Amino acid sequence: MEFLNSWVLPIILFWPAVAALLIFITNDERMIKWGSILASLLPLGLSIYLLAAYDQGVGGMQFVVDIPWIEPLNASFALGADGLSVPLIFLTTLLSTLSIYYSAGTIRYRVKEYFLMFQLLELSMLGVFMALDYVLFYVFWEISLVPMYLLIGIWGGKNRGYASIKFFIYTLVGSVAMLLAILGTYYATGTFNILDAAAAKPFMNLPADQALLLSSLAFWGFFLGFAFKVPSFPFHTWLPDAHTEAPTAGSVILAGVLLKLGAYGFLRIILPTFPSTSAYWSMWIVALGAIAIVYGAFVCIAQTDLKRLIAYSSVSHMGYVMLGIGAAASAMGRNPDGTSMLNDPAVFDSAAMAINGALLQMFMHGIITGALFLLVGVIYERAHTRALDKFGGLGTLTPYYYGFFLVAGFASLGLPGLAGFWAEFFTFRGAFALVPLWAAFGVIGIVMTAVYILWRIMQSLFFGEYDSTKLDHWTTVTGEHADGPTDMVAFEKLTLWPLIIGMFVLGFFPMLVLNYFNSFSVGMLESIRTLF
Amino acid sequence: MVSQTWYLALAAFVFSCGLYAALTRRNAIAVLIGIELMLNAVNINLVTFWRYGSMAPMEQLSGQVFSLFVIAIAGAEAAVGLALIISVYRTRHTVNLDELDMLKG
Amino acid sequence: METTLDLSTLNLAVVLPELTLIVFAILVMAADVFATPKNPAPRQWTPWIALAGVVAAAIVNLSVSGREVTLFQGAAILDKFAVGLNYIILLATGLGILLSVKYIPRINKQVGEYYALTLLTATGMMMMGAALDLITLFLALEIFSLALYILSGLNRTSPRSTEAAIKYFLLGAFSSAFFAYGGALIYAGTGTTQYYGIAQVTAAGLANTPLLYAGIALLVAGFGFKVSLVPFHSWTPDVYQGAPTPVTAFMSVGTKAAAFAAFFRVMLVALPFSYGAWSMPLALLAVITMAVGNFAALQQRSLKRMLAYSSIAHAGYILTALAGGAAEGADAALFYLFTYAFMNIGAFAVVMALEEMGAEDAMQDRAKGLGKTHPIMAFLMAIFMFGLSGMPPLAGFYGKVLLFEAAVAGGMIWLAIAAVAFTAVGAVYYLRVIANMYFADPVDESADEVNRSLPLDVGLAIAVAGTILVGVFPGFWMNAFQQSMALFGG
Repeated sequence: MEFLNSWVLPIILFWPAVAALLIFITNDERMIKWGSILASLLPLGLSIYLLAAYDQGVGGMQFVVDIPWIEPLNASFALGADGLSVPLIFLTTLLSTLSIYYSAGTIRYRVKEYFLMFQLLELSMLGVFMALDYVLFYVFWEISLVPMYLLIGIWGGKNRGYASIKFFIYTLVGSVAMLLAILGTYYATGTFNILDAAAAKPFMNLPADQALLLSSLAFWGFFLGFAFKVPSFPFHTWLPDAHTEAPTAGSVILAGVLLKLGAYGFLRIILPTFPSTSAYWSMWIVALGAIAIVYGAFVCIAQTDLKRLIAYSSVSHMGYVMLGIGAAASAMGRNPDGTSMLNDPAVFDSAAMAINGALLQMFMHGIITGALFLLVGVIYERAHTRALDKFGGLGTLTPYYYGFFLVAGFASLGLPGLAGFWAEFFTFRGAFALVPLWAAFGVIGIVMTAVYILWRIMQSLFFGEYDSTKLDHWTTVTGEHADGPTDMVAFEKLTLWPLIIGMFVLGFFPMLVLNYFNSFSVGMLESIRTLF
Repeated sequence: MVSQTWYLALAAFVFSCGLYAALTRRNAIAVLIGIELMLNAVNINLVTFWRYGSMAPMEQLSGQVFSLFVIAIAGAEAAVGLALIISVYRTRHTVNLDELDMLKG
Repeated sequence: METTLDLSTLNLAVVLPELTLIVFAILVMAADVFATPKNPAPRQWTPWIALAGVVAAAIVNLSVSGREVTLFQGAAILDKFAVGLNYIILLATGLGILLSVKYIPRINKQVGEYYALTLLTATGMMMMGAALDLITLFLALEIFSLALYILSGLNRTSPRSTEAAIKYFLLGAFSSAFFAYGGALIYAGTGTTQYYGIAQVTAAGLANTPLLYAGIALLVAGFGFKVSLVPFHSWTPDVYQGAPTPVTAFMSVGTKAAAFAAFFRVMLVALPFSYGAWSMPLALLAVITMAVGNFAALQQRSLKRMLAYSSIAHAGYILTALAGGAAEGADAALFYLFTYAFMNIGAFAVVMALEEMGAEDAMQDRAKGLGKTHPIMAFLMAIFMFGLSGMPPLAGFYGKVLLFEAAVAGGMIWLAIAAVAFTAVGAVYYLRVIANMYFADPVDESADEVNRSLPLDVGLAIAVAGTILVGVFPGFWMNAFQQSMALFGG
């Protein structure tokens, strides 16, 4: 156990690299597919072990590995996991396994490269969640661009070239801004270690106006890097294109995990490292979040393409995350008398609630939207179109599909008893206490979510009479001709069951992940409270 | 005795002539002549600075040595340059720079 | 006046790397002489003799490293910086020779001369880094430039190659005149041509400022031409496109490395006390160079021209570190050029393989569908493109980090921001090549052949291994190039 505890993170991290190497030297497609699935089970198993082995009583960073790496740069190979990253590591491995399994049934050309890219993608995402060193963090952050770029560009839809390069350039613009902020932070603190830099509170020893200027520059550098990834309004325009063109499993990972990298950056780097600056600019984060919630929801209603609709719903849902983060940040400043605002227990609780809500939303959105994109893939494999007006009346013909979509849809709109509810509940509970006006504005988005889920999706797809003249080229999932819509087959069901079960389980027992998140958010807020 | 100013003025004049030729003439050989003039102006300068310059003692021969090297290099440049001009003439039957326009994009 | 030549100061042992190359250049020419139409064997040995020379020089270089010696009464120096530059030049030369083995005999039968000239070019380039006197610098500059003029016109029957050579020559000679004039003015302003002497005079405030500044301006123009800074860059795309591709590959790295090394040394060792005068002009030059290089590269249809403009952009990145004025800038530039050697020569090697028989160039269309027809070539090109665009964990990334760090260390934060923004622009055209290779279908199925050969494959393997390994384990090389330059008074 001792050995496993000290090396579990590198094993999880580099196992996909080993798998990628094995795929590289294998030529048999069946073997590549099954090998990938089997290989992805090890990180999944170990991440479940992480969940179990993480000691919530102790909290903080555990399983830490710290090896000197680039000595001239003072960069080290530092990994660690805490209450923030452990559930996200689990989410990453879970969605990776499911996506690989689903892809094994649907990817038909350039199989080897596809699964190679997927392993690299998993590696990079896990790396971001584990890295405790800025250089390492940035390296993994950037690596995650490449496989996703190729996944969209090679296996994507008609407009894939445009979508992939847009995805790449937008995120790159953000990340180079982040690189400058990293360099600035390094100059202020003399360390690339994320935790040490956060503890050192860069620029705070300078005169007040200079401190504000420099830390604001660093703040906005990081902000751009993460906001492009989240994506926060108005940096979201790459997302609908990328999602629409990406292959199904790519969309699942993109929405399920890659967007979380941005929100993770806010909580791992921006808030702990620049608390007062975050408080200073918090209304911007809050406003962008609230606008994203409402704007995303309204745009959803206008969509005619099912996948694009889900993509915009991601913009809306990631707005909750931004709202929660911004609300918490607004509580990190000082009272007029110079004491920390967090000294007030009510404020502290609300801030913790807001962060917990944001984190829950990240986790739940990963599961729910992952499921929704898989469901879009299911129908697209059969109808070869995603135009909402081509469907209707599927409810009676494909009951299994209907049922799954119903659960995922209701979870997405926040029905109590399903996973999405708790995330929205905590976010708004925290936000209403801290930023009431923007929170009230955001509520419009909740209403609109119900509208587009029920009216646009459910009504267009499932209600009414099936009209066979609308669409006359149905196939089965394997590509053979079919006379009409066919219901889900075994591998599709198997992919979706874990997610559906997860929605119910977390709907009733949110504490399963909330405990981890809470240990992180309370710990972080406590360290900020004692700062002044 | 001729003062330093006159030498420097001569050098500047020769350099300007060379520069003018290098920039305006379209014949490759004329351009080469212009460049050689510029290098010779440099030589006049170097020797003048060595002889009259207030900064360095005359026992240090840097200025002279420098100008010797410039002379040698100017010779080498002329040799290489004329060879290249000949090879261009063989393939294109012109040494007019305006007509050498295959490379662009 | 009696002058004696003190032979003890002629510490010849420390120019051994250069001397080794010269010896091997002579061996190459000698071997070439013994080749007859009946017995062409000695001529076929020439590439391997040249390669042996490069390896031998690298070994000699290793044996002289770790010392810091000035020689020829302060005309040249062998410090960590010079040794580091030697490695870069030798790497570029070695890769260039590997690329040439099969290519050069197709365009010119006089291969012996080619390899001799290549080695002599490398000698001049290495002296650029060692020069500690404007006279030495001028000599080194001309040694490698004259050889390169000939090399770029090597394909004597090709109108493009000869045109490239004459353009390169005329503009190069023109810039040499500026360079010499600048040297003369600095001599006039300070009374010496030695770097340490210039620093001493300027530090004491004894220099004739107008003459000195005019000299600096002309010197910068001369360097600007060699490293292709905007507005002295107009030759670069033409010469890169017209010259034989192995020569382009070699010179794109070699010239840049040598000229930048000398540029850094002149500015940081001889003229640090005029920093206030040259930092801002250089920063502005860097910005317009990055802007023009990156935006022009976006519009190129020819792969070689695209790489030419990208090399202009890279010159701008390196210049940001110099404009910062910090000594770390020199280390950063060396490390960057070291990584650049792998990536850029690798990219040119792929382009060379894509060229159709007898053509000097390959168009962007040629890359289309390469991911399907030649997956390995496409993979290599993708690595080089990602590397050049500065994507971690490939080598180019850490180079850029160090460069921009040096700019920030020098207080030029705005310059670092600009450079980083242009990096993002640059990613567009590198990615376009990747998109063409993987997302598009082949345009012309008949032009399917790629010209591969064993030496080329070895060169590609070295280039890709360097791009990846230096990227994953950059620490060793950063150390090797750290605190490299022997500064004045330091």
